[in-house]
Amino acid sequence: MRGNLLYLDKESGLHKLHPLTKLAFTLFLLVCAAALADLIWLLAAFVFLLVPLAWWGRVISPVLRSGLAVITPFVISLSLIQGFFTGGETELFSVGSFVFTLEGWLAGLTVAARILVALSGALLLTLSTRPDALMHALTQRGLPNGLAYIVLSSIQIFPRFQDRAQLILQAQQARGLETQTHFVRRLGLLVPLTGPLILSSIVDVEERAMALEARAFSRAGRKTSLLVLRDSLGQRLVRLALLTVGLGLVAMRVWYLLQ
Amino acid sequence: MISLRNFSYRYPSQERFALQELNLEIKAGQFCGVVGANGAGKSTLCYALSGFAPHFFRGEVQGQGLIGKLDIAKSSLGELAGEVGLVFQNAFNQISGARFTVRGEIAFGLENLGIARRQIQARVDDVLDALNLTDLASRSPYELSGGQQQRVAIASILAMRPKVLVLDEPVSQLDPHGTEEIFKIIEMISQSGETTVVLVEHKLEWLAAYADRVLVLDQGRVVMDGPARSVLASADMMKLGIGRTQYSQVAEIARKQGLVSDAGLLPVTLKQARALFR
Amino acid sequence: MSIFKKEFSTFSIVLMAVAIALNIAVGTLILGLKVPLYLDSIGTVLVGVLVGPWAGAVTGFLANIIWVFFGNPVYAPFAGVAAIIGVLAAVFAHIGWFKIWWRAAVAGIIVGFVAAIISAPIAAYVFGGTLGAGTDAIVALFRGAGLDALGANMAQGITSDPIDKMITFFVVWAVLQALPQRFKARASGE
Repeated sequence: MRGNLLYLDKESGLHKLHPLTKLAFTLFLLVCAAALADLIWLLAAFVFLLVPLAWWGRVISPVLRSGLAVITPFVISLSLIQGFFTGGETELFSVGSFVFTLEGWLAGLTVAARILVALSGALLLTLSTRPDALMHALTQRGLPNGLAYIVLSSIQIFPRFQDRAQLILQAQQARGLETQTHFVRRLGLLVPLTGPLILSSIVDVEERAMALEARAFSRAGRKTSLLVLRDSLGQRLVRLALLTVGLGLVAMRVWYLLQ
Repeated sequence: MISLRNFSYRYPSQERFALQELNLEIKAGQFCGVVGANGAGKSTLCYALSGFAPHFFRGEVQGQGLIGKLDIAKSSLGELAGEVGLVFQNAFNQISGARFTVRGEIAFGLENLGIARRQIQARVDDVLDALNLTDLASRSPYELSGGQQQRVAIASILAMRPKVLVLDEPVSQLDPHGTEEIFKIIEMISQSGETTVVLVEHKLEWLAAYADRVLVLDQGRVVMDGPARSVLASADMMKLGIGRTQYSQVAEIARKQGLVSDAGLLPVTLKQARALFR
Repeated sequence: MSIFKKEFSTFSIVLMAVAIALNIAVGTLILGLKVPLYLDSIGTVLVGVLVGPWAGAVTGFLANIIWVFFGNPVYAPFAGVAAIIGVLAAVFAHIGWFKIWWRAAVAGIIVGFVAAIISAPIAAYVFGGTLGAGTDAIVALFRGAGLDALGANMAQGITSDPIDKMITFFVVWAVLQALPQRFKARASGE
């Protein structure tokens, strides 16, 4: 099983935006998910913010598909849990002594809507932004190089580590892991199997660190970049606007909660 | 270019000096092969020449080592990285992982050196072309074969234009095709005369064909140092646990059987062998 | 040398990246072993023990965030919990609990409880309490959504089962016995 980067390379206006702008959209949607009080506003954020952005980015299909597919079980379980157990006045129906209320149901749907907005906001970012472009944008703004390196290299090297794990598993399966071995014995295999995997990776650490040093990774001094990210005044203004409105929403919510 | 005077190095966890009182001068542009039995100190020499000993492994240095004008012990790894490039066996571990394309990977070192973007582009294109990697430029380095990855590793180091290129058994994990690719590249690099090449390698036939000079290490000391043919053909090679080229082996058998009367140096290359048997 | 420099040398940074990859790889191995464990924070704990609290925290945090790039944002809210696991591992190592196997195991149980306690309100707030239905439900629904099946199977950061952490800490103890001293010294910045 391999992890596949969600990123979809498309020719779209959204894709061409500076990564920080897309990040700003996502963070704004996350703020909406957390700070908007009513179901109706959450649905409005989804329909009037997220969907147009996703459509613009030509990623509407994966966003809707994944978003709605994920949300359906949540809608069901949240409706049931909150419908029955969160108090309300308007009874819709009852099962035994458990009363399913309208208010409870709406509360459940509201939580589901929050998840939907937050989730799709995150998906929007990852579908339209290459990790290295995003990391570069953040490094330009002060993210330590080391952190960017950790994110990008772990993304790229873990499939190889998984291959090793698979090999170890296959060797074990050849010895009848599933069919013959007793549960407790499988537990006993834990250390003998994970041990070598971990220890072999450790050797890698030293060599990889040497390779980085050979590329002057720890050199003090300004670094330049091959990658050029295009930004614009318009995007900066949009980011500023999103920041302002976002903070406003948070302030409103906090004020509301303090009432 | 490279000058070691009574240079000794000891790893932190060991008492014994892994390199002992090395006295060595390697001129700019030379191609120097390094051979020796396991544990002789070949890798340690590579680390010393590139500054990893002592700066990465810590440990103790005695004597003096100079790469160009840089003093090995006194310069930082970052400074030395611009002057000396190190390539080692495991191609996968040399792919930094910091970039998603071959082009980006090659540019990575240059970005760290703070080289201007235009220059980075020019150098990367040059090196892609020289090492036949242009077709792979937009691919992920992790999709490549071992030989291709090693080519990318060498390209990434070469783009930094080091004065010295040190290679520690660069082909031992590669298949024959990959091995051939890499040797062709090393040959090309050394023939340009711009880079001093130090190559630790077991394939004696190959060193015989391309190296100007061969050093033999044994227990941390240089025990032989001279032109490739005289070193590789020497009888001491067997004693030192290194072996000989197939040409030498055949010629020696022929001599013992009285088939060949020439009593000079044994041949170490095909050409020399042919000359002998004529 | 400031703590920052000490814990974030080139060597540690590479170790952190490898540790994150290990989290995922060991998780895969465990899945194949078909035991009811996740063991998805082995790398985080290892870094916390070998390097220090800041490195452990960053490892745990990033390990959860990285999943977002693969279409599994579900682990992101628990990045803080994962960071805390890394910090606590460093703390227990500092007070010497990783020297004896059963102390390491007990440390694991404690950390598991702490993590569970902190995770619960996060789960309740973000997922509206449905997490009580079991992490299998989360797994199933992400799978059904066609998001990466691999990630969906590993409820990284969601399960804070004390037993899972106990075993994690034990495995790390075992690995530490086999690690060369040279490596441990390197990692801790000597």
